[in-house]
Amino acid sequence: MAQSGFDRRRVNGPNESLQPVYDDGIKESNVLYKAWKPGEARRKRQAKDIRPICARHTATPPTPFVTQTVLKTGFIKQANGSAYIETEHTKVACAVYGPRQSKSSSYHEIGRLSVEVKFTPFSSLVRRVPIRDAEDRSVANLIQQALTSSVRLDLLPKSVIDIFVTVIECDGIESCIAAATVAASTSLAKAGIEMLGLVISCSGAVVGDDVWLDPNEEETQLASGILLCACMPALGVMTNVWQTGCLPLAKAFQSLQLCQERCIDIHQIAAQALHED
Amino acid sequence: MSHSHFEGLAMDRLTRHISTGSKSTSWRWPSLHQFRAVTLQTGVVPVANGSALLNLGRSSDESIGGTEILASAKLEVEDVDIGGDSSSGVEGGRIVGEKQSSPAAYSHLSAAALDDLQHDYSTILNDVLSHASLRPPNLGIIPGRKAWLLALDLIVLSDVGNIYDALFMAARAVLWDTRVPKTRAVEYRPNREGVKGSTDMDLDPESQSGLDTRRSKAPAADFELEDYWDDGPALGGRDLWPVSITLNLFPGVHFLDATTQEEAATPLRLILVYSFPTKSRAALHGMHLLGPGDIDLAQIESLVKEGEKYALDIYTGLNTKLKDEELRRTDKARLKFSAAR
Repeated sequence: MAQSGFDRRRVNGPNESLQPVYDDGIKESNVLYKAWKPGEARRKRQAKDIRPICARHTATPPTPFVTQTVLKTGFIKQANGSAYIETEHTKVACAVYGPRQSKSSSYHEIGRLSVEVKFTPFSSLVRRVPIRDAEDRSVANLIQQALTSSVRLDLLPKSVIDIFVTVIECDGIESCIAAATVAASTSLAKAGIEMLGLVISCSGAVVGDDVWLDPNEEETQLASGILLCACMPALGVMTNVWQTGCLPLAKAFQSLQLCQERCIDIHQIAAQALHED
Repeated sequence: MSHSHFEGLAMDRLTRHISTGSKSTSWRWPSLHQFRAVTLQTGVVPVANGSALLNLGRSSDESIGGTEILASAKLEVEDVDIGGDSSSGVEGGRIVGEKQSSPAAYSHLSAAALDDLQHDYSTILNDVLSHASLRPPNLGIIPGRKAWLLALDLIVLSDVGNIYDALFMAARAVLWDTRVPKTRAVEYRPNREGVKGSTDMDLDPESQSGLDTRRSKAPAADFELEDYWDDGPALGGRDLWPVSITLNLFPGVHFLDATTQEEAATPLRLILVYSFPTKSRAALHGMHLLGPGDIDLAQIESLVKEGEKYALDIYTGLNTKLKDEELRRTDKARLKFSAAR
């Protein structure tokens, strides 16, 4: 085994060598739930609190290293509409191009919405490959399902609206999809495309007996079931519901109710962001 | 065909149901909440650990037609990689589902579109079946080292609508039918006799203390399949495997088991996946909305409650059939064999 590399005239090093392990002090949320037991309260936030999104960030940050939370529109000048949303450790950028001529030659009297999602390789703890991944498509489908009934596609025959979502940092995939939906809807509005209402999305995790809204990565691991809902608060209808895990029916209804209530609050922020920019 | 043509077909079906007593037509329209006939056979693929062939919608006077799904479960061994990503082994085993569409079923789609379709269905399947809450208790082999990976493959041979319900029914049938081979952990120990030697060296004998727990992780490094007369015990967690129900929604009314044309005409579909564990109340394992329509919260709640009733019907019907199948293949087969001799 090690016979060929074994040099008896010299002092040999160990056969196996490993990289040094660094103390990861930046992401302190890693150790937030280490000693957590089922039944305990949520760490750092209330059960029904979402991570804050503000319409506009202040000129000077309050203290260094405190992340700004932001929903900004119009930051990609070449796109018809764009929005950037940031909530603590989730950062999503969205650009909308359209309505433009559809590449396919077949005639369709109702316009099409094409959503493409890209996760940057550094968006999660484990590096993602830059090539098109299977997960990109399922996230894109969920965003498309949420947005389709809100856009007046019947006014845009033979056209396609391209929505490109780039996830720069992702902390909890469901919350990321929710943030991306909000960004996409805001960019559609910014692009001046006719819509029935803004689509706002919120996710909730059922942990034990509690419902925690807007869960991050750790909290989704602890959850017994996750619910993601997208609705148009202006019209009071839901456009997308997605649930995984095992949830008793009563808990599912409760989290749907809470998510919808929170969506009304987020809707105010999105409307304000559009109004100010 | 334009959108309005399909809508016309679906509305036709609804109006005929509402105006009951129209016995003048020789065509028998099914009610809104009725399923087409389902035929199921298990154990169709002898080389797999579990298999099922399900057909939904074959009309009784013809022997062909309907949504046909061939499902099989194959167990593979993989290393447990604690802390690895989701595509590596997990302590206690895991299930990975994949739906494949035979090009014969979707001849109008290109290869890329077929891939996309497969991926979409597989995602919904995996979201439900790969979740930790449904992990069966007996898929581990050696704790901390090796576990079974259950690869569940569902091939759609033909599709005439209501594919989600058929997929989940077939998945439940296969998982019910799966048998996990019995394994035995083996440990390789080097020959100790050479150690006993000179008495002038002060050698400490190996402590054989029962309280020494350091040895508990080290020994079993490999396993072997036991020689058993049957394929092994059934896969655990039988009462947990869920069934799905697709509610096709029109404003004010919903119907089940849509054919392809009816699906194309429906603006919104709600797919609900329920499990009915014996010891607790029904639980929701998946909820998906598909289509360009929208719905409000109160409607969702009432639909989820109604969906539970339909799903319970499917669940009990499927259970009866699966128990029948099991009897047919074990006890009845034995009786037939002994009678023939």
